[in-house]
Amino acid sequence: MSASEAASEPLSHGTTPPASEARQSRLAHLKEVIERAAHLLPSQGPITVFIHHNTLHAFEDLPFDDAVQKGAQIFGCHPYLTEDRYRQELVRGRIRFADLWEVLREDLGAAAEEKILGLCSRLALRLTMLQYPLHSGPTEELVWYVAETDALRRVRSGVSSAVREQMIAETRHWVLRDLRNSGKDSKANRSRREAFRFPTVLRSIFDRLDESTIESWSEAEWEEFTLRALWGVCCQGVANTPSFAPTTPSSIRHRDLLLAATGTDADLLVHDELIRFCAAFVDQGLARWPLPRRDDGFFRAFSALYGQPGGQPARWLRDVGKELRRLEGEAVPPLESIHESLEILGVPKSEWYDYLAATLLALRGWAGMIRQMELRGDRVAHPAPKGSLLEYVAVRLILDRFALAETARQTLDFTKPLRDLRDEAGKRLNLSYPPAVEPRAFLVFQLAQVFGWTPERLVRLHEQEWKTLLREIETFSTWERRRIFHRAYERCLCTRALDAIAAHAARPVMPAARPRFQAIFCIDEREESFRRHLEEVADDVETESVAGFFHIAMYYRGAADAYFIPLCPVVIRPQQWVAEQVATDWQEEFQRRARTRRLLGTVLHQIHVGTRTFASGALLTGSLGVLASFPLVARILFPRLTARIRQLFGGFVRTPPQTRLQLERGDKTAGPDDGLGFNVDEMTDGAEKLLRDLGLTSGFSRLVLLIGHGSESLNNPYNSAYNCGACGGAAGGPNARAMASILNTLGVRERLAQRGLLLPEDTVFVGGCHNTCTDTVLFFDEDRIPSSHREDFAAAQANLETACERNAHERCRRFLAAPLSLSFSAARHHVEERAEDLGQTRPECGHASNALCIVGRRRTTRGLFLDRRAFLTSYDPAQDDAEHTILTRVLQAVFPVCAGINLEYYFSYVDNTGWGSGTKLPHNIAALVGVMDGAASDLRTGLPLQMVEIHEPVRLLNIIETTPEAMLTVLARDESISRLCRNGWVRLAVLHPTTRQLSIYQNGRFQDYQPQTATLPVAASSADWYRGWRDHLEFAHIESRETIGAGGEEQGHA
Amino acid sequence: MPEVIELMSGLGMVVIAAPILLVFFLGICSLLDRRLTEATIVKSIQAAIVVGLLAALGVLILMLAQDTRHVVVEVGEWVKMAGFHVTVKFVFDRLSVPFAILSFIVSGTIASFATRYMHRERGYNRFFVLYAVFLAGMIVASLAGTIETLFLGWELVGLSSALLVAFYQDRLGPSRNGLWIWCVYRVSDAALLLAAVVLHHMTGEGDFDQLLGAGPWPEGQASASGAQAFIVGILLLIAAAGKSGLIPFSGWLPRAMEGPTPSSAIFYGALSVHLGAYLLLRVSPLLECSLWLGAVIVVLGLSTAVLAYLIGSVQTDIKAALSFASLSQVGIIVAEIGLGFRYLALVHLLGHACLRTLQFVRASSLLHDYHALENAIGKHLPHAPFFPLRWVGTFTRASIYRLALDRGCLDSWLKMCIVAPFVRLFLWCDARERGWTDFLTGAQSRESSEVKPIPTGIEELT
Repeated sequence: MSASEAASEPLSHGTTPPASEARQSRLAHLKEVIERAAHLLPSQGPITVFIHHNTLHAFEDLPFDDAVQKGAQIFGCHPYLTEDRYRQELVRGRIRFADLWEVLREDLGAAAEEKILGLCSRLALRLTMLQYPLHSGPTEELVWYVAETDALRRVRSGVSSAVREQMIAETRHWVLRDLRNSGKDSKANRSRREAFRFPTVLRSIFDRLDESTIESWSEAEWEEFTLRALWGVCCQGVANTPSFAPTTPSSIRHRDLLLAATGTDADLLVHDELIRFCAAFVDQGLARWPLPRRDDGFFRAFSALYGQPGGQPARWLRDVGKELRRLEGEAVPPLESIHESLEILGVPKSEWYDYLAATLLALRGWAGMIRQMELRGDRVAHPAPKGSLLEYVAVRLILDRFALAETARQTLDFTKPLRDLRDEAGKRLNLSYPPAVEPRAFLVFQLAQVFGWTPERLVRLHEQEWKTLLREIETFSTWERRRIFHRAYERCLCTRALDAIAAHAARPVMPAARPRFQAIFCIDEREESFRRHLEEVADDVETESVAGFFHIAMYYRGAADAYFIPLCPVVIRPQQWVAEQVATDWQEEFQRRARTRRLLGTVLHQIHVGTRTFASGALLTGSLGVLASFPLVARILFPRLTARIRQLFGGFVRTPPQTRLQLERGDKTAGPDDGLGFNVDEMTDGAEKLLRDLGLTSGFSRLVLLIGHGSESLNNPYNSAYNCGACGGAAGGPNARAMASILNTLGVRERLAQRGLLLPEDTVFVGGCHNTCTDTVLFFDEDRIPSSHREDFAAAQANLETACERNAHERCRRFLAAPLSLSFSAARHHVEERAEDLGQTRPECGHASNALCIVGRRRTTRGLFLDRRAFLTSYDPAQDDAEHTILTRVLQAVFPVCAGINLEYYFSYVDNTGWGSGTKLPHNIAALVGVMDGAASDLRTGLPLQMVEIHEPVRLLNIIETTPEAMLTVLARDESISRLCRNGWVRLAVLHPTTRQLSIYQNGRFQDYQPQTATLPVAASSADWYRGWRDHLEFAHIESRETIGAGGEEQGHA
Repeated sequence: MPEVIELMSGLGMVVIAAPILLVFFLGICSLLDRRLTEATIVKSIQAAIVVGLLAALGVLILMLAQDTRHVVVEVGEWVKMAGFHVTVKFVFDRLSVPFAILSFIVSGTIASFATRYMHRERGYNRFFVLYAVFLAGMIVASLAGTIETLFLGWELVGLSSALLVAFYQDRLGPSRNGLWIWCVYRVSDAALLLAAVVLHHMTGEGDFDQLLGAGPWPEGQASASGAQAFIVGILLLIAAAGKSGLIPFSGWLPRAMEGPTPSSAIFYGALSVHLGAYLLLRVSPLLECSLWLGAVIVVLGLSTAVLAYLIGSVQTDIKAALSFASLSQVGIIVAEIGLGFRYLALVHLLGHACLRTLQFVRASSLLHDYHALENAIGKHLPHAPFFPLRWVGTFTRASIYRLALDRGCLDSWLKMCIVAPFVRLFLWCDARERGWTDFLTGAQSRESSEVKPIPTGIEELT
């Protein structure tokens, strides 16, 4: 049977003998194990639809600290920042010593004051271990270190001179009085000597330092003696004590053991092939020639390609080819093949999960992407068939087997069956690594110096006491130390934030007159500064915020777009379709422009493809190539100017200005072709939800602006991550526009009035979109604003324009490339240039530095400088019902989104190369779904260094303006919110709406918080507060004199 | 008009001196551990490139005004014996001036790009030191008037390229690939050096004008015999093949994509990859002496172009796709040179360099561009019809696809046929040596081979 014939037959209907029941259940179990292991894979989808999510989503049912430590172990990443980094923060004052002390006390509880062998209290021991860096390293390195450096000559730095001198003096007494005298015989002495277990280690030191002159030893010699004695005693004491350090589970894959034993990595061989093949399989249209038989699935496409004769001359790949042909001949389905591979590799059933999980994680980016394409086929152009991940595992294990055999043969001369390989490698490993003494001794040695434990004291410890001491030291391992450090790190910010809220909320709020206009934004923390500036520019304006899809979940297609894209949170699948349509007068013009666009697009695409082909490439590069030097030079040297020129020319083909959204569907059923839009009920429902969530049920101004947000920058594969998360990684302008239109619709207003929401007749809604990168606001349907409101709108626009400039100015303080002396308009110029600059890797700072989420009335936070660190959500507790329906709804939208953003930033920051995607500079777009590092690597998930650089990795502190009881009800009702809070993935506090008492959620209940300060610094304007600073800033009241004056006037009127 | 000639050689000196001074400035500051600020580095590079470019343009204008086609700048004779001398000499002619100007423009633009792109990166200083070395090498090689001078520039380019590929030295991939490229370059350097030796043997000097006749490029008449031309030509062709990634060395080109984007753009999109073709252009009069030589060049160029085209069409990452597209055009340029279309090849080379650089620099915009194109066209981008393969059977197609996916298997063959025997030979020598030393000392003579790699667990990651 030829290869192609065999392949054309379904594999499962092959010639396999009827399998026994036991075998079937075994296979079913295997399948279930793979599915379970697959949950560990990153769940990031294609990079074009970037949704922030908790990197350790799979561990959310564990408490935060357990989860990060477990995750760190499985993924081989850091769970927290490094100890050195925390110590730097301690020195810098970002971690306060008092916090550290407090956190440690809290953590230890009653055990804090327990004495350890009479040497010191547990609290003191742990504090010291936190404060003083404890160095460690492999045995070889330490042996070298103590031999070649001053470690045994000078007491370590940082030890107070009193401790040092006392230690030396005591040792000196001990030696001169007890030890040396004991040498001069007398039975009593000899027995004493026995009792002290006269340390033989001291003998060699005496030899070295010339004992005969001991009376005339200098201070330095005594110091050296003390340290050498200490080191000797520590080594001796540690030698026979079992280790208490948390054990890392031994490696399970053959490859890991082989790598450790021989230094040769079998995965290199596998990955060279597998990365290329995975990329070809996943590819969404980058390659001109798609993978043959891709639709047959991963396994069959692979065996068709690699099973054919020919190909690379490498021996192991020829063996793989032979094996694939055998599998195809015997029609072995992928699952059976996995089972077979596991048997050949000698992996028993009990190890399946761990082994397969480790195997999947070896190339986690690609495996994760295959899984995502299988699960969410709706998010890609070419989804993967069901079962692709399983087939991937089958292929991977086959490649693993042959690469292992090859590597083992080359390095160990190992030709026995693979099932013996792990034992063989393990044996070699144990041979070369005896259990280490020095690294453990060195820990005690360093601590002894800090505490001034003399050799005499340590030498008296008997075996059991050494055990106790070592247990105390070693169980407070680096991860434990970092856990404590991290708590203290968070605690400082938490205190500051709560104090600021308490102080700010305590201020009297004056009754407001009808605002000149109201502006409604997304909850995004980047809008915090924008709103603040707008309120500073125009103090008679109100701003509110709601999740940026404005309760419009839709598939949307712009007039110039090719397809519908979903504009709503990723958990919702929209039921309505909306398209932008061109006004009738412009139809002809639009058609003409669309034709031009299509022509231009086709030509450009042909050129794009053409330059990469053979003959047309020669023609194009030969003739037009030199012309490319103009755009090359212009775009790089003068990005903003070039962009302006391009826009000017682009104007001829852009959609005409007059377009409408088709929003009213009438009675037709919803659909992408005929059933565009919403019916009146759907519109009213959305509008009502929006207004009630906002608490905006009365006091409407004449003009209400709905402003979504988006971000556009060039040369930035991560662009989608800068867009609105509530709109599924796209810009939220269309949602704002649609909602504004809906709210202006008479029919909707009538229905709203029936439901008790009375909109004044003179209120007009206008939708817009804020570009957070260039700080510009674009409005839609301006032509529909009635002439009575034109003036109001013009004034509002002018205010927004000023706010944009100021916002750009505040953002610029974070960009090192922008001088601090920029003026407002120059700052705007600067951010505009960033968006257009091909060489700019940081078009904007994105969500970096987010730390807070405040849900409540704007007047609670208005005038508070939150440094762009707080997600702000409007919610009015006074308007909620007894069941807290609105609060539940608001929190259900806010919690997952904000926690997802915050946790993704946390992980990408604490270990940027492990959890994040590393530096952006060598990134290489692969298969149109993600990026690789350089020429070929795993698909990188998470955020790049340039995005998270200025972040502070702290868990999100949610402050909700409600009563503790109400919050507990919500927690009891919603498991996902409750899980996040209970397990400490986010922190939670409530601000009582009337008493203004803050309470913190801890262990399932709320405890009152006592602010540490009652006052906050005051500044006249935001710019006055931040000017001249690059780093994170303290919170402050912003209180312009005019505001005070205006307020006074208003009160006077009242 | 002696003053004009003097002015021209003066300007010529400036063209060469500017990048070399830059290397010294940045290099010496780094050696002395003087941390330069980003702003200082930017300013010094700007100054060097602007001065160099203006001087080069000045030379061009004067040459056009005076209708001179050949200006020589001599930097002394370094070795002189009867019938043998080594000179450092630079030549400004119709070939070298455009290429030098291209080098300045492209490098200048990319430098401006890189100063923002590399902002705050840890290896900022290292990047620009290597960049300066590259630029100096490029200018020296393009203006070289003797094969020794060319070799100097050639080496600098190779060194800086390999180091920039391994820029992220803490990851395994870049180091591995940097090493591979370094080895390929050594082979190519060895061929160039051999060519220089043969050339000296033939004519007693390495000056191109001696070898290629005194006429200004491209009108020189080489005086070598067919056999001589063939030997020198083949050696130069091997050198060019290594540098330009022609068969069988094509495998290094995608591996070079490990560095930051600007280095990929400048080295593999624009300048470095064309250096081999430039070398062949420089000696093109020689190619006329041997029909066989021309034929070999054409065949090699075309087969590289076809193979690179096939490989390029299955690449799934943008940088590899662009680098094979680049290679495909370089193959065609080489074939043009082999056929004797020198001006065509030069224009093709200049145009290709500019276009490809622009594409490399915009590589990260790919998603944005695809989206815009899809919107303009109104549907998913059509797969370009793949017409040469339309008529072959499925089975052949699959084989060709596999061949393309394996990148022609060139690296595997190189490993098997050259690297493996080479390594085996030296391991054998090593074993013999150890046998002897063990025998003489009467014990294990080499302690280092007993030391095992140290595994570090997660605990030690701090």
